[in-house]
Amino acid sequence: MSRNVLYIFFALLLVLLLLGLGLRIGSFTSDFSTVASALLAYTPENPAHFAIVELRLPRLLLALVVGASLAFSGYLMQALVNNALADPYILGTASGASLGASLSIAGFISTTWAGIYLPPFFALAGAFSVTALVILLGYRQGQIIPSQLLLAGIAIGSLLTAMVSLFTFLSGSESAIKSIMFWSMGDFGRANWNLLPYPIIALGLALSLFLFLQKELNILYLGAERAGTLGVQVVRTRWLVLLTVAVVTGFSVALAGSVGFVGLIIPHVTRSLLGLTHKLNLVLCALLGGGFLVACDILSRFLYPPAGLPIGIITSFFGVPFFVYLLLKKSYRFN
Amino acid sequence: MLRFLYLFVYALGSLLLFACESRSVRQPETAAVITVTDDLGRKIKIPKFPQRVMALAPSETEMLYAVADENTIVGRTQNCDYPAQVIKKPIVNNYPMDYEQLVLLKPDLVFTVEGMTSAEEAAKIQELHIPVYYQKFEKVTDVLRGLTDMGRLLQRQEQAKTVVDSLQKALNRLQVRAATKLKPNVLAITWRDPIFVYGQNTIFTDKLHYINAENAVREILPQPYPALTREYILKLNPDIIIGGSFGKMDTSFFKIYPELKQVKAYRNKKIFAATDNLMARPGPRVVASIQELKEFIW
Repeated sequence: MSRNVLYIFFALLLVLLLLGLGLRIGSFTSDFSTVASALLAYTPENPAHFAIVELRLPRLLLALVVGASLAFSGYLMQALVNNALADPYILGTASGASLGASLSIAGFISTTWAGIYLPPFFALAGAFSVTALVILLGYRQGQIIPSQLLLAGIAIGSLLTAMVSLFTFLSGSESAIKSIMFWSMGDFGRANWNLLPYPIIALGLALSLFLFLQKELNILYLGAERAGTLGVQVVRTRWLVLLTVAVVTGFSVALAGSVGFVGLIIPHVTRSLLGLTHKLNLVLCALLGGGFLVACDILSRFLYPPAGLPIGIITSFFGVPFFVYLLLKKSYRFN
Repeated sequence: MLRFLYLFVYALGSLLLFACESRSVRQPETAAVITVTDDLGRKIKIPKFPQRVMALAPSETEMLYAVADENTIVGRTQNCDYPAQVIKKPIVNNYPMDYEQLVLLKPDLVFTVEGMTSAEEAAKIQELHIPVYYQKFEKVTDVLRGLTDMGRLLQRQEQAKTVVDSLQKALNRLQVRAATKLKPNVLAITWRDPIFVYGQNTIFTDKLHYINAENAVREILPQPYPALTREYILKLNPDIIIGGSFGKMDTSFFKIYPELKQVKAYRNKKIFAATDNLMARPGPRVVASIQELKEFIW
């Protein structure tokens, strides 16, 4: 078994261990045998079983899929713009989602319609429309210009952040302010089985697609011109990356808010482990991203029970020092 | 004629002398400054006879209207809406703090509560030579004490005593005798995403004690209004939920969190909408708030 496959195996094992640990932690006392019996012989009348299957498991799976989606999207964006500082949010997706959600939470547009809780839908609408706008601004003469895309993303993102701040300021109550903050920094508290399939299917399809396109993605690191001469359909690949990132990130931020740093640091961690262009990079990146957010969620609930801190606070606290270490590590280079 | 002239001059002189005398007596009184200690333990200097007062919190404005002479109340915040006549008073924004408007109204004493005005804002207001007096309410009796304190500071002891006595009598009347050992657990929700509730260390817990009920949140969490997970609420399994009418909560809150339909309050349809201002403001309507809760619970 090669060292690289071992990394995948250990990452998978780590994710499973974290999920097992996460399933134990909650308000109802539950040991590992309770967790096992809840999973293998589920009795809805048993409150601990109900909590494990209906509340803890969807929450952990949401953290897993959001972490995997953001790390995967970050990897794609860094390859697309050929920039180590790129993350899934440079398309304005997160700012768009926060704007949509905060407009609704602050009471400027309705929060419910026919009994449906609307902020996630407004977040999704905000994510997609702002991403489309940024892509439009980064598009010239039939193709995407990465540097222009980057600048457009930063500019629009700043504007939307200011607007979210304005709505936060204008919102009537302290609870509304906290609610917007949770949205802006990420929270898995709303997780349920009904909404989970969307991000899982989006990520599954995207991951399958890019496992086939991994080679083209790697060649993009050489720059558009050289990639073109090496037979890569640069324009098509760029469009595929953009659409994938928009959809995968859009679903993530709509359901969990804008969790920061995962999409930036996990791709670097992956490359530092497997190298710049390994064929298993995308899989490891998704696994590490998912595992990282599951660990952060457990930690947030452990540090500040019962509901936990907004998840972005934890990712920044633990992600940034690690990122700095990676930057100082001499053996790691982005390209 | 000359006698009348003497009498007139004498009367005028006496009048002037009396006027000067009364000024010389009153002036030191109105200008006198005393040092008092507020509920946060801050020592502040306030006029002995405050003539222009206002509050930076709606609950304190309600208390002022119960105790102070209405003519001495010079303003209100944008959120002060009770009693109805307060609407006529000029507004001083308390978020963000409108210092300029505050200076324009020239209050000689400002009341506020902890959490509503930051220490930094209070310091800045004090720099403008306007004393800020903090009150703090953790129990229902703190509100009654707060009214008494306010009466003492405003030289309105009699008025304050009347109000406090009447509230105390009403409080005694509505206390539920512990005829039954059953104490329903009540969960009061203030926001639904994330779910924020009234924690153990809020006045809500003490209000429930008067009517033989308990706050479902027994644990003292760091925040007075903590965010809870659905699992935590399932474990609390409250008998009663305050947060909206059953119909409204069923189509909104329980749509987002269908798992919570398992709690006793939902199964027994014991879900009620409290009047926002009554629940949130620890003022002279605190007894009315307990009365409302009693009607929901018993």
